[in-house]
Amino acid sequence: MAGLKAIKSQIRSYEKTQTVTKAMEAVSAAKMRKAQVQALSGRPYATAAMSILARVSGSQELRSAPLAAVRTVSNALYIVVTSDKGLAGALNSAVLRAVMADIQTSGLSVGDVKIVAIGKKANDFFTARGFVVEAYHPNNDKITSDIVREIVDEAAHRFTLGVVDVVKVGYQNFVSTLEQRPVLHTVFPLSLTELSKVVEAITPTRGVFAGQAHTTQSSAGYTVEPSEEKVLETLIPKLAAIFVYHALLESKASEHSARMVSMKSASDKAGEMEHELTLEFNKARQAAITREVSEIIGGMEAMAQ
Amino acid sequence: MKLVIATVNENLFDGEAVSVTVPGTAGEMTVLTHHEPVITTLKKGTIIVRELNDIEPREFPIESGVLEVRSDGATILL
Repeated sequence: MAGLKAIKSQIRSYEKTQTVTKAMEAVSAAKMRKAQVQALSGRPYATAAMSILARVSGSQELRSAPLAAVRTVSNALYIVVTSDKGLAGALNSAVLRAVMADIQTSGLSVGDVKIVAIGKKANDFFTARGFVVEAYHPNNDKITSDIVREIVDEAAHRFTLGVVDVVKVGYQNFVSTLEQRPVLHTVFPLSLTELSKVVEAITPTRGVFAGQAHTTQSSAGYTVEPSEEKVLETLIPKLAAIFVYHALLESKASEHSARMVSMKSASDKAGEMEHELTLEFNKARQAAITREVSEIIGGMEAMAQ
Repeated sequence: MKLVIATVNENLFDGEAVSVTVPGTAGEMTVLTHHEPVITTLKKGTIIVRELNDIEPREFPIESGVLEVRSDGATILL
């Protein structure tokens, strides 16, 4: 008898959980679509910047530019992008693990590494492990290109001064709604091959947003003012900003899709539990009724004698 | 000519323009259709875009940027 009420309240709590997770799923689905569209809005800029770069520098690598100088790594700056909130499966821990693994394989100790955290989870993680978190920006929907520029300018400045020898950005790459992969890209020293990989990845090869391949024209007949070095100097931080901005968008899309999927499985699980408990509730109610009936019959029998 | 003014997250301008005046690091310059191909850096200032019809020119204040003029149009990255 006592079980009935307890089961009933349990069922109700599962129902409420399901309402919440379903709502979160719907919200994430909408936000995910928005993030995907946004990721594509950066494409014209990226391809234009790439083609200008190709024209100015020809096909050679950018070794001569200060921001492309490769040095032995004794100090590193990691820009780590995670979400602010949890409830998104293994999304954040995968990125954090990838960054930690990279720090270890580079042979760097805690003191050699500086962190720029975008997202609360990254900030919490690295602060707890004794790393120096130089800057922390919440990863909400209001994050703008100004913040990205600020981060990149600061990183570029440090790299030119030689305070850090490598600047990397770690984030969750959006492969599909069901699949996200943590990736690490080297921002400085800037490499053309690495950058073109990122720019190409902005355009999905299939699906609704698939685009056509981009062709670059030859650099012949261009007047470059004031000098090729000066143009590269201005252009390289802009290209680096593409890296970081793109990382932000990718991680946004990943966050929302991961949350959507984990909320969907939470809703499904809650539905399953509710079903099981309803069965149990019905059995318990049936048992109670049977007992009451037999008590009444027993009473009648007693009175009849 | 076809003109695109783009920041990393959006296109500020994308369309036909009669002329565009930019604050180049080597001095202010105005680009008309059939300008010779050029790549130049821009300094802090204002970009003035005149569109086809006689409407008010549009202005975009900038901090820095790169201008590329091709045979088929111009691109400004901020």
